[in-house]
Amino acid sequence: MIPVAHFMFISASLFCIGLYAVLTRRNTIQILIGIEFMINAAVLNFVAFGKYDKISGGGQMFALFAIVLAAAGVAVALAIILNVYRYFKSIDPTKTDTLKN
Amino acid sequence: MEVLSFTENTGLIALLVAILPFFSFVFILSSNKQKGANFALSTSALSFLLSLHLFLQIWNAEPEHVQLSWFQVAKVQFFAGVLLNNLSVLMMVLVSGISVLVHIYSREYMKNDPNLNRYWAYLNLFCFSMIGLVISDSLLLIYLFWELVGFSSYLLIGFWFNKNAASQAAKKAFIMNRIGDLGFLIGILIIYAQFQTLDLVSLFGDKGLLSSSFIENGLWISGSRNMPEIWLSIAGFSFFLGAMAKSAQFPLHAWLPDAMEGPTSISSLLHAATMVAAGVFLIARIYSVFDPLVLDIMVWIGAFTAFMAATIALTQNDIKRILAYSTISQLGFMVMALGIGAYSESIFHLTTHAFFKCLLFLAAGSVIHQLHHYSIKNSHGFDYQDIRFMGGLRKRMPFAFLGMCLASAALVGLPLTSGFLSKDSILIRTFEWAASREGVFVILPWIMVLTSWLTAFYIFRLIFRVFFSESREIKLDKLAHINDSPSSMTYVLIILSFFCTFIVFALNPVSFESSWLWKGFQLSVIKETRFFHWLVPLIINLGSILLIMFAYRIYVLDKSSKLTVGSWLYQISIRGWFFNEIYDFMFVKSVEKLAQIIYQFDRVVIDGLVIALATITQLLSSISHWFDRKVVDGLVNATGVFSGYIGRFFRTFQSGRLQHYLITMLLFVLSFFILSYLI
Repeated sequence: MIPVAHFMFISASLFCIGLYAVLTRRNTIQILIGIEFMINAAVLNFVAFGKYDKISGGGQMFALFAIVLAAAGVAVALAIILNVYRYFKSIDPTKTDTLKN
Repeated sequence: MEVLSFTENTGLIALLVAILPFFSFVFILSSNKQKGANFALSTSALSFLLSLHLFLQIWNAEPEHVQLSWFQVAKVQFFAGVLLNNLSVLMMVLVSGISVLVHIYSREYMKNDPNLNRYWAYLNLFCFSMIGLVISDSLLLIYLFWELVGFSSYLLIGFWFNKNAASQAAKKAFIMNRIGDLGFLIGILIIYAQFQTLDLVSLFGDKGLLSSSFIENGLWISGSRNMPEIWLSIAGFSFFLGAMAKSAQFPLHAWLPDAMEGPTSISSLLHAATMVAAGVFLIARIYSVFDPLVLDIMVWIGAFTAFMAATIALTQNDIKRILAYSTISQLGFMVMALGIGAYSESIFHLTTHAFFKCLLFLAAGSVIHQLHHYSIKNSHGFDYQDIRFMGGLRKRMPFAFLGMCLASAALVGLPLTSGFLSKDSILIRTFEWAASREGVFVILPWIMVLTSWLTAFYIFRLIFRVFFSESREIKLDKLAHINDSPSSMTYVLIILSFFCTFIVFALNPVSFESSWLWKGFQLSVIKETRFFHWLVPLIINLGSILLIMFAYRIYVLDKSSKLTVGSWLYQISIRGWFFNEIYDFMFVKSVEKLAQIIYQFDRVVIDGLVIALATITQLLSSISHWFDRKVVDGLVNATGVFSGYIGRFFRTFQSGRLQHYLITMLLFVLSFFILSYLI
């Protein structure tokens, strides 16, 4: 049996990789991927902790919800990115700073 | 019947006499036409006829006093009215009569003057004020007319105001008269303070307030009022000061010779016959106000003026200035006569003097007129008033010559002339008066005798220079072009000549007591000494005749004279005893000095204070400026800079970059967790 700690290490490193990608990438698609990493790290944690609730399977249920919500969020995000690209001719987040002024 | 009632209303007629010239003055000034001459002459002739009528009615009859309520101050009622007695009707006839003659004379004399209308208007203004002066019954009214007389005299002296000397002379006359006016006003105020009225009759009448007031224990008491004794003398002296200025008495005489800058006809009417007599008239009108002290002052001032003016007249070269000084001298005689109490003699001399001095001036004016024409016609520029350039006119201008001789004889007091009666009466009275006094008063009559002799010399010097010998300037062959003045001027001279004879004033040519005019004023209280009555005229006439012969030797026979031009006596005389210089030094220069001192005071002290104040203010304000700049502004700026700094600092967080926000958020969340963990 794999101990929970291992899951948490992997999930933490996934989260950190995602966070790093979100903070450093110059491409919104990559930032989105970073976000997916972070969501999936969270999902991994749900699943890992789900073994302590074998009767109702709350962890799995929550993971499924999260996956569906993430998919919906990605769809919305991709639509926004597409519009941003059409408007700015770029998806570099450093260049989409019109709110600053 | 109505005409009769009008002629009996003397007050109304007197008013009319005064108003007529005023009406003429207004009319001539308001009309633009150059027709003033006829109008002025007709009103003055009418005014003369009316005053003659009044004279015949009032002379030696009951005095007429008509008055109306004028105005009221508090509870004191002021009256304005007409007081006609012997003195005022005599003056009225004198003023209006001579004024008519001068009007006739001026028609010719002033013929070509471009401002003739102004001349007639001013002349009539003068007649109005002078007649108003002599008929007024209250001191206040007299004062008003007194000022008007001074003002019209100012206008007439300065008639040719584009000549600098004339305007200066007018100013001088006006200013000197102002000094006297001030005295008159002070006198009026003192009288009013004591008696609460300015009415002549109630003040100076026979039973008037002044004669019923008395002096006791050093107090001057009238009814319930009293004031220190000295105020009576001050009041008398103040009135006398007014008279001194008008009648050109020392020390206020200096304006009269300068007043000769006016037209000669004006000099004749104003500055010889009538206006200058106003001072004497005033003294006579309010005679009872003068106490013995003031009367003594009057005696000495009159005598000194007479003597001084006679010595100055000895050397003057301007024909009009000689006559002006002679006028001053004769006025001195009148004032002195009033001072010794020879009231009727003084008025008598005033009357005769008015005629013969007017004649002297008009004859001189005639000479000046003809010589002026000569100098214009021949473009021969010389001073046609300077007797050194004249001579030999006796044959060319016989009427002027005869008129002048007669008037001069009257002035000197030669027998058969009016002057013999009046002048010698004054001198006789002086001797009689001096006999009753002691000490220094004894020399007084001899001063007057000496003055009288000097008169003989200077007036005949003028005649000999002008009418005898040869002209120094005009060639003899050219003399043929000079004739007597036009007939209207000559008629005036003839009429005036008639008035210079004894017959007009007395039937007996050697006794002034037989004169109707002298009898009209019986106020003399001097003890008579019969023996003076023949001795004094004898002394005077002998001396005068000797001096006339002496003058004849010098000026006609050209014998050398002792009065050399260089001598200091001559200098004193020709410069008029240096009075102009003395006044210039004493008053003009000292005022200038004072002004300079005040100017310096202003410059140094007042300006210094102001400048110091300004400097202090400037200093204070620069300190305050510094404080404002450095402290107040510094605080405000520091606040601004600080907030700007904070703003700039926080602005760095608002980069607009998504990832920066995220990092910031992360950092905050992390630090929150770290902090919560640590705590």
